[in-house]
Amino acid sequence: MKHLFNITALFFLTIAATAQTPYQKGMQKAFDMWKAGEAQEAGNLFERIAQAEPDNWLPPFYAAQVLVFDSFSEKDENKLVPQLKKAQDLVNDAKAISKDNAEILVLEAQLLTAWIVFDGQKYGMKYSGKVSELYNKANQLAPDNPRVVLGKAEWDMGAAKWFGKSTEPYCKDIKRAIELFATFTPQGEFHPKGGLEHAQEVLAQNCK
Amino acid sequence: MSRIHFIIIITLTLFSFGPLRAQQTISGTVLQKNGTPIFGANVYLEGTYDGASTDEQGNFSFKTSETGVQTLVVSYVSFQPFMMAGDVSQLRGVTITLKEDFNSLDTVVISAGSLEASDNSKVSVLKPLDVVTTASALGDFVGALQTLPGTTTVAEDGRLFVRGGDAGETQIFIDGIRVFTPYTPTTNNIPTRGRYSPFLFDGITFSTGGYSAEYGQALSSVLLLNTVDEPDQEKTEIALMTVGGGLGNTQKWENSSLSVNASYINLAPYIAALPGRNDWQKPFESIAGETVFRKKLKNGLFKLYAAYDTTNFELTQEDIDVAEGVSFKLKNNNFYTNASYRGDLGRTWKIQTGGSFTHSKNELGIIGSDIDNTENSFHFKLKFRKRFSNQVKLSFGAEQFLTDFSEDFSNPSVSANYGYNSSISAAFAETDIIFSKEFALKAGVRGEYSELFNQFTVSPRASVAYKTGKDSQLSVAYGDFYQQPFQDVLKFQQDLEAQKTQHYILNYQYVANNRIFRAEAYQKQYSNLVTFNTPMPGFESNFTNNGDGFAQGIDLFWRDNQSIKNVDYWVSYSLLDTERLYQNFPTAATPSFANTHNASVVTKYWIEDWKSQLGFSYQYGSGRTYTNPNVEGFLQEKTKDFNSLSLNWAYLIDPQKILYVSVNNVFGFNNINGYQYASTPDASGNFNRRALRPAQDQFFFVGFFWTISEDGTDNQLDNL
Repeated sequence: MKHLFNITALFFLTIAATAQTPYQKGMQKAFDMWKAGEAQEAGNLFERIAQAEPDNWLPPFYAAQVLVFDSFSEKDENKLVPQLKKAQDLVNDAKAISKDNAEILVLEAQLLTAWIVFDGQKYGMKYSGKVSELYNKANQLAPDNPRVVLGKAEWDMGAAKWFGKSTEPYCKDIKRAIELFATFTPQGEFHPKGGLEHAQEVLAQNCK
Repeated sequence: MSRIHFIIIITLTLFSFGPLRAQQTISGTVLQKNGTPIFGANVYLEGTYDGASTDEQGNFSFKTSETGVQTLVVSYVSFQPFMMAGDVSQLRGVTITLKEDFNSLDTVVISAGSLEASDNSKVSVLKPLDVVTTASALGDFVGALQTLPGTTTVAEDGRLFVRGGDAGETQIFIDGIRVFTPYTPTTNNIPTRGRYSPFLFDGITFSTGGYSAEYGQALSSVLLLNTVDEPDQEKTEIALMTVGGGLGNTQKWENSSLSVNASYINLAPYIAALPGRNDWQKPFESIAGETVFRKKLKNGLFKLYAAYDTTNFELTQEDIDVAEGVSFKLKNNNFYTNASYRGDLGRTWKIQTGGSFTHSKNELGIIGSDIDNTENSFHFKLKFRKRFSNQVKLSFGAEQFLTDFSEDFSNPSVSANYGYNSSISAAFAETDIIFSKEFALKAGVRGEYSELFNQFTVSPRASVAYKTGKDSQLSVAYGDFYQQPFQDVLKFQQDLEAQKTQHYILNYQYVANNRIFRAEAYQKQYSNLVTFNTPMPGFESNFTNNGDGFAQGIDLFWRDNQSIKNVDYWVSYSLLDTERLYQNFPTAATPSFANTHNASVVTKYWIEDWKSQLGFSYQYGSGRTYTNPNVEGFLQEKTKDFNSLSLNWAYLIDPQKILYVSVNNVFGFNNINGYQYASTPDASGNFNRRALRPAQDQFFFVGFFWTISEDGTDNQLDNL
């Protein structure tokens, strides 16, 4: 009997590990599609999960992130404007679910940076102050979050570069972000954890 | 181990974890109106995980274990979301046509007459920053607009003269609410400036004709200024200038924010260093303060704006009839406050309401005579907007204007008190219909009742826009406009009627790749203009409403931010043909504020290595009319052409410090704004004359602007 109990227990454990909830299955599938380069489909799936899980900030967060990351390479204003507006709506949804969330603030700062990258003259004055404010607020909320440290340092570096000043003082922040990535534990399943590769790229390009 | 136990476990497992419920397939095709498939649309059953994206042929197919009636949702950027309820078993092979979202950028926009400076509209001709970086503007929002087509160069005045209209024919609105005294008072030959700081506004619409039924009491033009909804960050701003200084602070809280600005301007040091043609006893001095409070409420936004300024100066100006010159002194106090609210009332209704109050007091002294006047004006407006669908919208509202003006005149022999009270009630309704992305219509009507004249006027307005190609469109507009006679007449005579214009406008616009081309032809008819039979309006004048006139012309605008790297430039040209019979004109003539050709070229060149923006702006105006009493006729001669080239240099020391230098009329062109003839002929029967030259041929300006933001002290850029 003891033997049977063990087998049963093992059996249930295996099932528990493999039988995913629809949420887990959906999120995993979306990440897989995104990795495979099917960004739009991944975004669509995150959006579908968002409407099925109205109390979870992660699906709208990722749905927005897909659009924001894609925007940096979009040059057609007729596509970019509605895309970034939609991303802003999703960010607002995420913020309504999870208040004072540094991860969302960083994403919003990236969203506004996409506007500035697209047309600095048109959107630079309007959004650059706001971007600084978002990074500062994120930094107050989560000073040891590697994405906050990285985003803020990269933004400050961009400003220093633009003014022809040395980007060197920010290298220690990038290095610190890399260290923080090593020890960072996401708050839960599917919570943001990426960015290490990007930090290493930034370091390699700007710091010696 | 018992087999039975094992089987039970397996069975249980299958039942609980391996659902064997029947799945249904949902499938179909998503198309655009013209039959083109939509690739990448998101299709799903509302509230479930079941869904898919469409493929390149617009096809989708997914399985679901839901049963019964479900809602199928289809969404795609730039299209209106589609919803359809149906039994799951029926949702197979459905064809769905998505409707275009008419808010998207490539929808036709009604652009006849209006020029925008904002970043949220495709028809914008200026960007918000242009207002402060245009070389000739000197930080005056009106100055930047004077480089746009449809305006006339009247260098000695400083106000906006639009399409053959007098300066008083343009009305200014802040957040939809009227500004009664928008300009700092001045005297002959010294250009005025707009009272309000350009940094307060993030959207400017300058309409040179054919504007919405929402706006009245303007014969020629409206200028709509929208204040910033939410400041970007907490900051302190310091400005040090050769003519004075300014200090500003912005505070933000969770749902509200407060900005306070103060400025002090004194021209004494400048005039001491570079004396002009005027003999100042007390150089121009002004103290101004303004504040904006904004609060986000549950369904809307409340804004309160208040500004106070006081200005004084005293000078003696040359005069051909008065050997010792004409002395003039002025003291003005102006208070303006404006409160507005806009918000949602349910899903399809919006409300916009607000009011403004102006108190303006002038004390003038002109060669021994004292003129003191006080104006109290009030405006209240309530507007609703109903959205019937994405394509049909209706707005309507009502407003009330009240003005109480009183003036005291006294000199050693006479003293008098006079003035007027005017009350105008108005109602308006307007509908916007977007028939398709290619074709849109705006039609409205405005009714106004003037208590002073006991007169009711009805003004229809209409415009249509049609997209002629991917990047081009054509608009036409028509409208009737009424405005009561100006203050200089009304204070003596109220038994008059409203003056009237009719506008006809044809506009073509091409926008692509950071290039804009606009061409606009217009025709304007004036009627009921005020005439009088004395040199100046006064009690002894005989006033009528029998004046009339016309203005017609072509305005061209080209802006290109693409062709030359780091260079942004625009070119405006206006052709104007106008005559009118008004004031004390003996015959119809072209007034002295109107000229035939006006052109502006504005260039901004960004030099990366110097962190500098160099700008120049060139303004040209053909000669303006004047009357030469030595020759037969009225307004029969023209001055020589006006030319001015201004340069500016903005150097960004770091993100928070800017050094700004500008020079107006670098080449020192000798401009003549007109002539003053002696009132009596000399011994040989000749009327002598004096050229009216600008008070200063050139103007130099140096300013240092420093913004300290919340994290200013720990911003490493400062410590480098």
